Amino acid sequence: MPGKELPDRCMNCHEAEPAFTLRERFVCQECYIRFLNFKPFRRMERYRLRRNMPQTGPCKLLLPLSYGVSSTVLLHMLHQQLEVLRSKKHGPAGFEILVLVVEPSTISPVPPHEEGFALAQQTFPLCSFTRLPFHSIFELDPDVHQIMSQYAGENFTDDTSLSDEERLTRFRRSISSATSKSDVDQILLNKLVVAFAKKMECRGIVWGDSDSKLAAKTLANVAKGRGSAVTWQVCDGMSPFGLEFNFPLRDVFTAEIRTYATLFPELAGIIVHDEPPSENTLTKNLSIDELMIRYVSTQGAKYPGVMLNVTRTASKLQSSGTSIGGLQCDFCGAFMTTNENITGEQGNEQLQFCYACARSQPELTC
Amino acid sequence: MPPSPCARCHDQRAVIIRPKNRQKLCRTCFLHVFETEVHETITSTSLFYPGERVAIGASGGKDSTVLAAVLKTLNERYNYGLDLCLLSIDEGIKGYRDDSLETVKRNAQQYNMPLVIVSYGDLYGWTMDQVVAQVGKKGNCTYCGVFRRQALDRGAAKLGIKHVVTGHNADDVAETVMMNLLRGDLPRLSRGTSIVTGSAASDIKRSKPLKYAYEKEIVLYAHHRQLDYFSTECIYSPEAFRGSARTLIKDLEKIRPSSILDIVKSGEDMALLVPAEVRGKGGEDEEGGGGGGGCGSQNGRTRGGEMAEMERKLKEDEAAKDREMEITSDSVPKKQQQSEQVQTPAQKKVKSQVLGTCERCGYISSQRVCKACTLLEGLNKNRPKTAIEMEVGLEDEESSSTLRRQMEKVELGGV
Repeated sequence: MPGKELPDRCMNCHEAEPAFTLRERFVCQECYIRFLNFKPFRRMERYRLRRNMPQTGPCKLLLPLSYGVSSTVLLHMLHQQLEVLRSKKHGPAGFEILVLVVEPSTISPVPPHEEGFALAQQTFPLCSFTRLPFHSIFELDPDVHQIMSQYAGENFTDDTSLSDEERLTRFRRSISSATSKSDVDQILLNKLVVAFAKKMECRGIVWGDSDSKLAAKTLANVAKGRGSAVTWQVCDGMSPFGLEFNFPLRDVFTAEIRTYATLFPELAGIIVHDEPPSENTLTKNLSIDELMIRYVSTQGAKYPGVMLNVTRTASKLQSSGTSIGGLQCDFCGAFMTTNENITGEQGNEQLQFCYACARSQPELTC
Repeated sequence: MPPSPCARCHDQRAVIIRPKNRQKLCRTCFLHVFETEVHETITSTSLFYPGERVAIGASGGKDSTVLAAVLKTLNERYNYGLDLCLLSIDEGIKGYRDDSLETVKRNAQQYNMPLVIVSYGDLYGWTMDQVVAQVGKKGNCTYCGVFRRQALDRGAAKLGIKHVVTGHNADDVAETVMMNLLRGDLPRLSRGTSIVTGSAASDIKRSKPLKYAYEKEIVLYAHHRQLDYFSTECIYSPEAFRGSARTLIKDLEKIRPSSILDIVKSGEDMALLVPAEVRGKGGEDEEGGGGGGGCGSQNGRTRGGEMAEMERKLKEDEAAKDREMEITSDSVPKKQQQSEQVQTPAQKKVKSQVLGTCERCGYISSQRVCKACTLLEGLNKNRPKTAIEMEVGLEDEESSSTLRRQMEKVELGGV
């Protein structure tokens, strides 16, 4: 802090030596950790106390782990909550955490992270772990084959003699632009996670997205014509899939998550840091998702509060408006809004795709 | 490479790649497609009725010039039966507005439409140059925006016209959606995308028939029809949120040209999701930053440091909240209740907002005194005594009652 001297005591507990600046206050390490932990703790309160839900029986929550810093930190925080829960004999029944890893090497060309998976299992013994390849989506959601070939259109023929892995690769390859590619990948990943959560009879999914990720996601969704989906893509609550979506790290800044991760050496072996898109990449070659992440991180450096506020604003929208009629897009699962029926009108037994999904279809180049 | 034929008529040589979808078209087909799309927007929203008198908010810039040209063409081609005229606002900005008004005057002759010019000087006793001399460049756009909204309404009222069309294009609307998201303005998010606005605050309807037209295509259209327009932007400061949103949208357009329309679509969908109790907020302030007015892309800009200011405010709120949380760490539900309570009265107040008339100038307002009069009061306070005497005369020190009298004096026409 230029021009200011560090106080010699933590501004919070007034005992230990301050080690960090936490939202303009100098606090010790313990207070820093406690503050950050409290944010998701408050978000998980509902599940811990089982408000408005059965008091007995299982309450399973799925945590998709990408080995990224956010989802790993979330797992760490929730595991601590589980430790406290389990240590109390007469405490509330609380929740269980199931961890799903969609093997990153089956999504993008990165080396497999075998030791990370083993280490995570070891570090978080109170959670159960599953690891699946991306193409297991075909097993978990048998409709995907049909949806995929209709979605991809005439230029793509699904060769059933190939393995699931190859069929998925060929489908993903049929989509040309960077934006559509990442859009479609996200939809497929979401489908896979949801299908697994349903199979495991989970009540909801806890996503690791931090505030800046959510802000970027909000803006990207708007830019892709998915404005009405922000109500479940970035807000806590019921999703169109009948599962509750939660983002317990929504109030924590990405920089804080990074600092938190460095305070626990056991996390270092699990976390794989994302490569930021190269500064030299031309804007027009980025995907919209990447552009928004870049925008939020550059603007967020100056105005973190404004970026955080984007997500808060999105959270104030009411999701109920969309479910009127209840017609869902066959690809992304979002509720269709009243003024769209883009692809459904030509054929009778054709699947219905929403405005935004139609935009990402392979034959459209723009 | 051989010249590619037009994708529509397959006959002429393509000279235009449509910015909207990269389709290759010849000049005639492009003009036709552009006009037809505006026609579709107009018919699908039943924007006009036969015999309606419509004022085109004309600044002399590309958007309003194209709007006037297209409306004239469509009116004749499809027999809308509209009675069109041009309505211009003279903000009193030397080196900008005086030149662009010359363009509007020429347009009036070219399109054979009557022209009415309403000036800030006549209406408020202040030109924008004088306002800037007084308040500085920061914040002057607030004055301009508030004044313009009233001026357009008053100009239309003088003409006995109930419908003003403005040249807002798809880029403007998309920009507004992003901007309102960035500054967390839900009420404007719910209004900004609708094609017709302003019905609550005044009986004069505002609409934007070019809502789905890309800025780049408007430029192309103006170029290929060789329209006479004025291309200098307002000399006073741009606004941070809109500037940030604009840069973002230009980048998005490079990545995926359709994204401007996609943002408009998102905005329309999200507008339906804004809770009803928030929607009506700030009726009088209908278009302030939301995208209305007469000077095309320049409208709605306010202070330059707005983004930093909001950041500071958010930070203060956050800090206050965090401190509160530290103290009452065991009373989480209470805290939530509290924050709900904070919101509820505010929303109730919004609901009970009644539109009346400003007690000074008679303009429709939800407050006792309308925004223009409030701003004028501030301006007049600091004006040298002699000037005030000239303005107000003997009557009273309620300076902005001058507005009413001056309104009555406003000369109609400049024709």
